[in-house]
Amino acid sequence: MRVYQKVFKNPWSYMIGGGILALLNILLLAATGTPWRVTGGFFYWGIWLLETFGVMVNTDISGVYDGLGPSETLLFNTVSILNLSVILGAMLSALSSNEFKRRKIKNKKQLIVGISGGFLMGYGARISFGCNVGSVFSGIPSFSLHGWIFWIFLTIGAYIGAKILMKYLL
Amino acid sequence: MKEIYLDCMYEVCPIPLIKASKELKKMEIGDLLIMKTDHNCSITNVIEWVEKQKLKMDYVEIDEGEWEIYIEKT
Repeated sequence: MRVYQKVFKNPWSYMIGGGILALLNILLLAATGTPWRVTGGFFYWGIWLLETFGVMVNTDISGVYDGLGPSETLLFNTVSILNLSVILGAMLSALSSNEFKRRKIKNKKQLIVGISGGFLMGYGARISFGCNVGSVFSGIPSFSLHGWIFWIFLTIGAYIGAKILMKYLL
Repeated sequence: MKEIYLDCMYEVCPIPLIKASKELKKMEIGDLLIMKTDHNCSITNVIEWVEKQKLKMDYVEIDEGEWEIYIEKT
């Protein structure tokens, strides 16, 4: 019972969590040749959606297919499998700690703020070629300068966001 | 001694924490703040924050994935 509590119920420390994430990212890089990223998968799904509805995406300019391996498609590729696995893993973790629960939308404001926030995040992640995972978490260990620049501006953005949240949204 | 109820259901970090800190500022010494949340990160970060503030606190899981946090202003 105590082992169950420790492993499945209580939250792990930041040190352990961060260490495991780093180890898994190394394994992922060794196995697939690409570190962990997230929004690239949604980018491919977005293009798939547009192409399905007949909108042509200029793939030469955006370099869409550069990131895809020979056997990968817009829907099924390393990133989308990773994304689905993150959801599956999170679900398993919630289930094993007996905390799985369907979350409702609190009110209209939360819905509107959520949709606009998600839109801004998606748009921002696209024009900067990645989100905090691809750019900071995977970019900095790859010795890429862009990771550090992204991280500095992410902090400034989060600071301004927090100020707006405190002043106008709560 | 008053009891103040704070509904943080369906809200994610850092909203429960900000709401609690705003509420605590308005409260008087000896008042009790009761927060209800279904976000397990809130348990971690609210506890951490409350301990830094050196306030008295406790929490119970009242249902699967639902908690009540009690904070006393001292």
